[in-house]
Amino acid sequence: MSVGKAAVKVVRLGRMSYRSALKLQQQHIKQHLDSCSSSPNTLLLCEHEPVYTIGIRQAPYPPEEEQRLKALGADFFRSNRGGLITFHGPGQLVCYPVLNLACFKKSVRWYVCELERMVIKMCSQFGIEASTSPDTGVWVGNNKICAIGIHCRRYITSHGLALNCNTDMSWFDNIVPCGIVGKGVTSLSRELGRDVPTEEAIPKLLEAFTEQFNCTLTYN
Amino acid sequence: MAMCAVLRCVSANFSAALPLLTRPAHFWTCQNSRRPNMLRTLYTTSSRLSGALKFTDKHEWVRVEGTVGTVGISNFAQEALGDVVYCGLPEVGTKLEQMEEFGALESVKAASELYSPLTGEVTEINTNLADNPGLVNKACYEDGWLIKMTIEKPAELDELMDEAAYEKFIKSLDS
Repeated sequence: MSVGKAAVKVVRLGRMSYRSALKLQQQHIKQHLDSCSSSPNTLLLCEHEPVYTIGIRQAPYPPEEEQRLKALGADFFRSNRGGLITFHGPGQLVCYPVLNLACFKKSVRWYVCELERMVIKMCSQFGIEASTSPDTGVWVGNNKICAIGIHCRRYITSHGLALNCNTDMSWFDNIVPCGIVGKGVTSLSRELGRDVPTEEAIPKLLEAFTEQFNCTLTYN
Repeated sequence: MAMCAVLRCVSANFSAALPLLTRPAHFWTCQNSRRPNMLRTLYTTSSRLSGALKFTDKHEWVRVEGTVGTVGISNFAQEALGDVVYCGLPEVGTKLEQMEEFGALESVKAASELYSPLTGEVTEINTNLADNPGLVNKACYEDGWLIKMTIEKPAELDELMDEAAYEKFIKSLDS
């Protein structure tokens, strides 16, 4: 049982390749699984070069699809997270909480819900009314502003969320984002009609995170 | 379903007390649908007799029928996951060590690992889950089973929790 607030270390990585960020997450996961006492909960923040990623449901994305997307100039990665295809790229704030759910609540369903609520809270700080829907993620009307896809092993979480700040949205035209036909994507910049860089979103996201997860943040 | 026949046979032969059976034995039918997943099992003197469920601390269960173990996840686990949308299961013939990861369940945009409760070889996977992954939520102890496997080291069953111990274990998780 955790008495008092859990501590989470924020690590700002800047621009980092998807592959490198995955490696880093694996290292943090290992730290969790190896340590016997305090759990080193970490929140990784970064932006990726253009990359399309998929989750454990690989069948809808055969090698031909991979080639097609790579030919457009993006990288392609098959991961172990939940969720279908999405895009990561410059202007999108990617957040990977590597948490031990034992410090919070041992339920993956609860965790995903909390991530959604946290992003909704953050959007309201920008004056944007966001919501959840039967499809996971955070929506402004019929357009997804933030994608969520996580992995959980022995209560240690990885992967996370991707919030469109001033992303070049045309990258999403090449796919059916998250496999959801008939809905679109949006960004903070599109909703506010002005340029909103990831730097502006970070402090608001962190504030929403500490509130929603009732934790304290530390920085290196 | 074969499982029902086995249990009816077992209940006729054992006069063991049934402290958790607050409903008649016909609860073990194949028609479980919307009722909550409450576990009913027969207390036996040995965990190796068919019908008794054993649990890992990662919320998988195994039910032994002769030399085959059927594996699934517990009600606690399916509730914590949310609606299962995809089951990533191993191929028949895969050899597993106890506690080795054998697959993953995807739910609500989260993929969670599955851990083998025993050492053995996968003999069957529940192909119904490809079109109907929600069976894991609706009937986690019956139609929502995940894999069947051989039991290479029967002694490993003794290391697992019986139902009473598992109920205690999940209560302790809430604190």
